[in-house]
Amino acid sequence: MSDIHQGQAHVQDAQTERLREVWKNPVGWRRFSEVNNSVIGHWYTATAFAFLIFAGGLALLMRAQLAVPDNDLVTAQLYNQLFTMHGTAMMFLFAVPVFEGVAILILPAMLGARDLPFPRLSAFGYWSFLIGGVFVCGSIFFNAAPTGGWFMYPPLTTDTRQSGIGADIWLLGLSFIEVSSIAAAVELIVGVLKFRAPGMNINLTPLYAWYVLVVAGMILFAFPPLIVGDYLMELQRAFDWPFFDPKRGGDPLLWQHLFWIFGHPEVYIIFLPSIALLAMIVPTFAQRPIVGYSWIVLSALGTGFLSFGLWVHHMFTTGLPSLSLGFFSAASEAVAIPTGAQIFVLIATLALGKVVSSTPLLFAAGALAIFVFGGLTGVMLALAPFDFQAHDTYFVVAHLHYTLFGGMIFPLLAGVYYYYPFATGQKLSDHAGRVAFWLMFVGFNATFLPMHFTGLRGMPRRVFTYPADVGWDWFNFISSVGALVFAAGFSVVLIDVLRPKKQKADLDGNPWNAGTLEWLAQRDESFGMRTIPIIRHRYPIWYQKNFVQDVREGRFYLPDAEDGRRESLVTSVLDAEPEQCARIPGPTFLTLFAAIFLGATFIFATYHWWISTLASAFLTLATILSWLWTGTGEIPEKQFRDIGLQRRVPLYRSGPASTGWWAMFITMTGDLTAFLSLMFCYFFYWTIHTDFPPGADGSGTYWLAGSACLVILAWTSTLLARRLNSAGYPTGFRSALYAGAALGILGVVAMLAGPWFSKMDPTANVYPATVWAIVIWVAVHTSVGVIMQAYCIARAYAGRLTARHDMEIWNVTLYWHFACFSAVVALATLVAFPNLT
Amino acid sequence: MTRETETGHNLWRMLAPLTIWALHFLACYVAAAILCAKYPQIADLSPLRHLIFLVTFLAVAGVAYIGFSTLRIWRYSLDGDLDYDHDTPEERHRFLAHVTLMLCALSVIGILYVAIPAAIIGSCR
Repeated sequence: MSDIHQGQAHVQDAQTERLREVWKNPVGWRRFSEVNNSVIGHWYTATAFAFLIFAGGLALLMRAQLAVPDNDLVTAQLYNQLFTMHGTAMMFLFAVPVFEGVAILILPAMLGARDLPFPRLSAFGYWSFLIGGVFVCGSIFFNAAPTGGWFMYPPLTTDTRQSGIGADIWLLGLSFIEVSSIAAAVELIVGVLKFRAPGMNINLTPLYAWYVLVVAGMILFAFPPLIVGDYLMELQRAFDWPFFDPKRGGDPLLWQHLFWIFGHPEVYIIFLPSIALLAMIVPTFAQRPIVGYSWIVLSALGTGFLSFGLWVHHMFTTGLPSLSLGFFSAASEAVAIPTGAQIFVLIATLALGKVVSSTPLLFAAGALAIFVFGGLTGVMLALAPFDFQAHDTYFVVAHLHYTLFGGMIFPLLAGVYYYYPFATGQKLSDHAGRVAFWLMFVGFNATFLPMHFTGLRGMPRRVFTYPADVGWDWFNFISSVGALVFAAGFSVVLIDVLRPKKQKADLDGNPWNAGTLEWLAQRDESFGMRTIPIIRHRYPIWYQKNFVQDVREGRFYLPDAEDGRRESLVTSVLDAEPEQCARIPGPTFLTLFAAIFLGATFIFATYHWWISTLASAFLTLATILSWLWTGTGEIPEKQFRDIGLQRRVPLYRSGPASTGWWAMFITMTGDLTAFLSLMFCYFFYWTIHTDFPPGADGSGTYWLAGSACLVILAWTSTLLARRLNSAGYPTGFRSALYAGAALGILGVVAMLAGPWFSKMDPTANVYPATVWAIVIWVAVHTSVGVIMQAYCIARAYAGRLTARHDMEIWNVTLYWHFACFSAVVALATLVAFPNLT
Repeated sequence: MTRETETGHNLWRMLAPLTIWALHFLACYVAAAILCAKYPQIADLSPLRHLIFLVTFLAVAGVAYIGFSTLRIWRYSLDGDLDYDHDTPEERHRFLAHVTLMLCALSVIGILYVAIPAAIIGSCR
């Protein structure tokens, strides 16, 4: 070896050492302060699988109860808890979180980044998920679990005598977890759009990342309606506001709309990321690029959009106009087109490649077979007249399990076998994998195929037992045996995953000879990527010359951490041109504390301990503010950073050029969806009542109109403050913000005064309840805006917000655009609409 | 001549046809829901059905406009080929246009599907 090479090797070792030092994971009890995506991703995924096992155990109990007619293994009341918790835990604590966990784990490596843009947000999301999940699942051990089914239909669930504390646990526990889903969505969208390696134009982005983008976008539009539903139902349960009580003008159907506007896209939110795994697995084992990359993008986007036009197909038997049913039936058929396109692309890729037989591919093939079957019964159920017959029978149970096992469980297990070496450096046993697959495939079909027939023979879902002489016995018995066989198969996987493995197989990081970037990440190094590469191809490991070696030897961007900071590259959305070197925050306990306090807020509210609730909410706010103060918007010690290969990029950017601004924009898009869902409720009541609203001047018109003006002025002041700051007038900036905060506070007082002085009693009728619900929503949002203004004032006094380093005021102004829009729409509706009708 | 980075077809334009589908869907659903909830006994739905046909025509025309203006991308190419698999802004531009075009086709199918019930169902029941 020449001296030059020895010198280079020496430099490389020193660089690696610095990277290691900077990205070092905390040890001992400090591990709980971890934020690194690879660790959080592991925890997230493992926790989601733990909930899967819990919910699967509940399913086995149900199958044991239904194995023979007139069985009395469990009581009706416990059975209600079993099926409610099974559905709830599978959907909210396994299916969605496992997507988030896997995405957090593998996405950065796939994009060529060292971490996601907001690792602390990932950690916060994880802790929220864990606390909320344990709270909701734990309830069943105290005989306090929800009993109303996983979609919680009122009036059963609003009747506090029939449903007990379980319904509150469901509503508040899951609202808390929805917060973590939205946090993950923000993180993942910004990650895919802004953290791709240089040269990874949007047309070279791995298909998994495309799916993550689509699914995270769907979360922003699907979860907020459910949050609004939870908000209204908890107001009814805790304070007797009659949103779903027909006697006082409410309507139980409104819940069904809100739930299924969430619930149907949810099915695709679960399905698409799992198909995304197949889109990574299939090309590897076909040893060729995917056939029809653009078709997959088309179908992901198409499915994402169309899936929002299907929700009423869960409500075909509620007596809606047949014309409305027709629209939803048509859209339900149309969504089969993009869904089917993905399946054809995968089959074509296999047909044209040289297929290498393997366990992940076996699971993938099983998934396709099962999913196609479930898809076909889905087309049947999308036809309203057929649905009238099959609604609420075991036929529907069979259908949904075929789609979810074929579209989610089997692809995910394919992913477990495929990505296990990526996550741990070891391979799972091929032999055990095959045994597990066949047990599960046979067990699954034995469980759910007979349910089609029990359903067509009229067995309703959710009955805890059945008589012997109606022709359901044998089908149920076979289903129960099948469930045991499936559980045996799953146990094989579980044992294989958990068993200590002898050989620390040096698999060179790429045991399947895959072509995509994630297989280059160094599993045993917490920094992941040795250097951030330049991408020229969709399968760089296969097609870029000397690629693996060049990356490992640090020949691309950011090969070093000479400033002693965790760093990754921010690139442009379409063409991935380097724009900024992002300083990524390291370990902290603040995210854990924030999640604990927020969890306490929700848990205390469940028990109506209002003082503790308020105290916890205050602590949450204080923790989040201290997290923001210490961890964000840091002013770097220099303006530019040399990232290697003769390029220099800025270290600080604000406004639309910054990732924080986009995170705010995305969060507020979700928030706006929630607000619009709330307004939908107002107009929903208007369509079904002749006296909603009851007449002009019902809610303190002048107060509300005045409040709208004050909020507009507060927004204008914020906007002015931002301009004054940019123009270099710090005093003017602070004064404008003081004025904005004062106007905002006055606006909040005025909007609450409206219904207060009109003596609107929210328990009397649905109209005052709706007015109060909207006013409180807007008041809270405006108040948060005032806190943000105060935060900017404090930052300015502390010298952390200057004319050049003005990220905070840009983000706060963006918040105010949305807050002001919501306030004006809400207040204008409350003031003007009663006069129009 | 090469394309500047971040110019040409972008993600918002790619989503336009599906957004038109969503707006059309919403318009049809909201119009029918309000009419049938406010006047459940109404016998003649033809004004509503004509409204839906009109909205459908506008939506299809809008998507067709996007589709045909996207088609022009194939008439001239800045890099002499029609591929869209490489890491240049021009190929990224062409890729997004290609996806947009396919989404236009999907959106038109979706829009026409949703209009079918209005063509065959004549009452609120």
